[in-house]
Amino acid sequence: MLLLTCPNCGDRNVSEFRFGGELSSRPKDPSALSSAEWANYLYMRNNVMDAQTEWWHHNAGCGLWFLAERHTRTNEVIKTYPYAKRNA
Amino acid sequence: MRTEQDTLITPNRLHPKEGEVIDRATTIRFTFDGVEYPAHPGDTVASALTAAGVQVLSRSFKYHRPRGLLCCSGHCPNCLVQIGDEPNVRACTRPVEAGMEVRAQNVWPSLKRDLLSLTQLGSRFMPVGFYYKTFIRPQKLWPLYEHTLRHVAGLGEVHIDTPLGEFDKQYLHTDVVIAGGGPAGISAALGAAEGGAQVLLFDENPTLGGHLRFTVPLDSSSTPEVSKDLPELLEAANQQPNIAVFTDTSVLGWYQDNWLCAVKGTRLFKIRTKSVVVATGAYEVPLIFDNNDLPGVMLGSAVQRLVHLFGVLPGKQVVIVTANEDGWDVAADLQSLGVNVGAIVDEREPNACSSPYRDGLVNAGVPVFYRHTILEAIGSNAVRGAKIARIDERAAISPTTTQSLNCNLIVISMGWTPATELAYMTGGKSEYNEECAKILPVSSPPGVYVVGRASGTHAVDSQIAEAHQIGSTAAAFAGSGEVNKLTAQSSGTLEPRRTSDRVCVPGNKKRFVCYCEDVTDEDVELAIAEGYDSIELLKRYSTISMGPCQGAMCSMNTIHLCARANDWTVQETGTTTARPPTTPVTLGALAGQNMEPVQTTPIHQWHLDHGAAMMVAGLWLRPNHYGDPAAEAMGVRERVGLIDVSPLGKLQLTGPGVPELLERIYTNRWENLRVGRVRYGVMCNDEGVVLNDGVCAHLNDETWYMTTTSTGATTIFEWLQWWLQSGWGEGIHLTDLTDVYSAFNLAGPQSRAVLEKLTERDLASKAFPYMRIRSAKIADVPCRLLRLGFTGELSYEVHCPSGYALHVWEALMEAGREFGIAPFGVEAQRILRLEKAHIIVGQDTDAMSDPLSANMAWAVKLDKPDFLGKPSLMRISDEGLKQLLVGFKMADPDVVPDEGLQIVEPDADGRLKIIGWVTSSRFSPTLAAAIGLCWLPPELASQDGAPFTIRIDGHLKEARVQHSAFYDPDGERLRM
Repeated sequence: MLLLTCPNCGDRNVSEFRFGGELSSRPKDPSALSSAEWANYLYMRNNVMDAQTEWWHHNAGCGLWFLAERHTRTNEVIKTYPYAKRNA
Repeated sequence: MRTEQDTLITPNRLHPKEGEVIDRATTIRFTFDGVEYPAHPGDTVASALTAAGVQVLSRSFKYHRPRGLLCCSGHCPNCLVQIGDEPNVRACTRPVEAGMEVRAQNVWPSLKRDLLSLTQLGSRFMPVGFYYKTFIRPQKLWPLYEHTLRHVAGLGEVHIDTPLGEFDKQYLHTDVVIAGGGPAGISAALGAAEGGAQVLLFDENPTLGGHLRFTVPLDSSSTPEVSKDLPELLEAANQQPNIAVFTDTSVLGWYQDNWLCAVKGTRLFKIRTKSVVVATGAYEVPLIFDNNDLPGVMLGSAVQRLVHLFGVLPGKQVVIVTANEDGWDVAADLQSLGVNVGAIVDEREPNACSSPYRDGLVNAGVPVFYRHTILEAIGSNAVRGAKIARIDERAAISPTTTQSLNCNLIVISMGWTPATELAYMTGGKSEYNEECAKILPVSSPPGVYVVGRASGTHAVDSQIAEAHQIGSTAAAFAGSGEVNKLTAQSSGTLEPRRTSDRVCVPGNKKRFVCYCEDVTDEDVELAIAEGYDSIELLKRYSTISMGPCQGAMCSMNTIHLCARANDWTVQETGTTTARPPTTPVTLGALAGQNMEPVQTTPIHQWHLDHGAAMMVAGLWLRPNHYGDPAAEAMGVRERVGLIDVSPLGKLQLTGPGVPELLERIYTNRWENLRVGRVRYGVMCNDEGVVLNDGVCAHLNDETWYMTTTSTGATTIFEWLQWWLQSGWGEGIHLTDLTDVYSAFNLAGPQSRAVLEKLTERDLASKAFPYMRIRSAKIADVPCRLLRLGFTGELSYEVHCPSGYALHVWEALMEAGREFGIAPFGVEAQRILRLEKAHIIVGQDTDAMSDPLSANMAWAVKLDKPDFLGKPSLMRISDEGLKQLLVGFKMADPDVVPDEGLQIVEPDADGRLKIIGWVTSSRFSPTLAAAIGLCWLPPELASQDGAPFTIRIDGHLKEARVQHSAFYDPDGERLRM
């Protein structure tokens, strides 16, 4: 079973976490988007075979939503960090 | 007690000797196919039967050929038996118990005379893959084919009335796991433990020691005896406090990040470790020749296990077929016990043999046939002789040299294949090593190490030295001790070659590659000729290595056959993928205890004591009713009732940022909600799909109190956490109070009168109107009161600290007694809310429902600047709605359509097409009518009173659209 490092709690089994999909953010001004752009935000994902930044939620633990960089082919977790440190 | 007669019926039992694991002082009895046999504690089922001279233990899968002990280590299918209710038990590893009822499997009518063995007369018509080719047409006969095949080709019987066993799971955490407790495993454990690491050492046998329990170390030049190294190793392991030993425990699989699974009987272990040492040893490889499956053909290690552990000799006239020193070891071992070794058949040239026992055996007059191999095992139900022949200069068999030897035991000792399944699962790579003719691990991921015979090191001295160092390296990887520079080298290539290239001797009878599925070498050649030439395809088509042995007996030989037929090298041929489990495991052990988590409210016991019929709602157990839901509903309408709604999600939001958040997550307006007021709200996701509904109260200045649906409580809490933590959390604190507060709904015209008895708070409608929140002490407990109307009556939701919940509940019941109060359950609440046409999210809506269509347009304010779902709802609104959720009443009040039924309409050709469906329906005791909610096309749904038809059990029943609530459409009773 995969180990994930919660930025608060440390190494935990992946069964303590909920996967939240790849990192995407809600458009700042949705009313300015065309229907195609809105649909793109709602439904289109990059689905890379590479390192991917994605959301995880420590739902059986501290409740933190954080980001993980995980390789989608090898499942190797390169690093995890709080959302606030995403640009650090 | 052992009797004289027992001695007579256990002719194969040897005299007592050192190292055996049986307790000869005690004799127990068990039956095999109805016949009673004696055994000693410590015996396995198979050793006891072998002692009694029983050779045929099972019948083969396809041809029903007699089969007897082959590997005697739990890695072949030949001794699978049924014990009581338990099918597919390996007789060679299962300890025998007094009174055990053992039966043969897959035989008809009996093991001795299995008429199904006649199938092999037709084997010409049953080549590999014949069932794929034969039983596909005509398709409608498949049920008959399947029934017959299941009967003829099968293993044990599962009895569906077998009581549930006791199974459980244990979680273990450690620094180093050693899989395999032979000399290498024990030594690695010592190395790791001495480095300071915590070590778990697993072995599938009843005691540690691996092959040292029953073999002679190669380097020993003394007379055969059980290894001298073993007591020393066991003593050291025993003294080492850092080592925990698990015997009778098979490591089933390796999963990511060193997460291992092991099983011991009915207990499954899940183990997290920092590093792993694979010390799983090697399997002895069978040789493929005519009748190689005949009972009496056994592997050398199997014979040594029987002799040394159980004092049982499976045959008195022995022919040993070998291509390495191990065969000579077995010969010397048997000879020292006084056994008549009839012949040693060695494939090699005389000068290739360097066995220390050679001179002794030759001088004792044991005939040795160099450059010979076995052609055939002679016999019908058991070995009566062996046909051998000379191998000529071109490595071919020369038929003219054929001769027959009398014997009743043929020992095959041709070589070893490392047990690398676990190493393979870790992602390690392996390569074929021509020097020692083995596929050996060449690399493994960080923190995974392979030692001993699994890595190709055969000599015990080398194993011990090498494994000790690797053990300390594994400890260092886990953070204990220093990393030593590796000085010991794998000596695999330095040792004499121990595995023969010859895996198959041609002939004209059946030669089995795969004992599990009865696949012969000719079947393999045919499959390759038909195009299934890659090893993975060959495996799937022929089912080789997919049976109970999981490749332990057949994988290596199949790879060689596949390589030869394709004219590839072994390296080019490759291996099949190893997957967990490495050995068969019961589904019970995987399932563990029959437990399901449930949540109960603080009132749970009270509900049970008052006759509640409980129902499962998400993880919650809730009272569905207390006997008569219709009467409970009428009690609320006419008097007063109390329902436990503690599972409601309860969230508290604090801070200046809350109003803005509420505007974003709800579809309606919130910034104007004054303190003390409560508002209903709908939450959507950005697709515009309804996620949840509930109320939110402005409790005081910067505190809001939100309720969600019971089943959506966790999801909404996570949903809100995500928005708060991903940018919308400025100035907001969110707390989940779901378990902290319990909640009851006191509903009915008398509810105010009941509550007034328990509080000093003014409950008059003027002071505490509809859709307000108040703090009040109820029965001296500080509570939050919300005046709501889900049931359609005057009602108060009482939210109290869970620790006092039972006290408050009982106080309310007591206060209500003079008003005729009664508890009501979920079913009565469903009737009451349906009479008001209130929707339940998840019941009346699904993952496609938007609030505009779900009759909640009044709660959607598309003129707000932005909220979750707004852009989608704008587009849905512009494009027009496709289905609407509306109420309906049946023409016939006695016909209540089931939820989910179709609403149909004839098309132009008179065929019925589905235009909608029923989501909720009940008989309303208040109105004496059958009512419900349904989805309909807008043109129909928009006409109040429009008729339509619901298909019920093939009949069309009329219903009419109703726009207003069925009960109290103006909501006067809520505001009383």
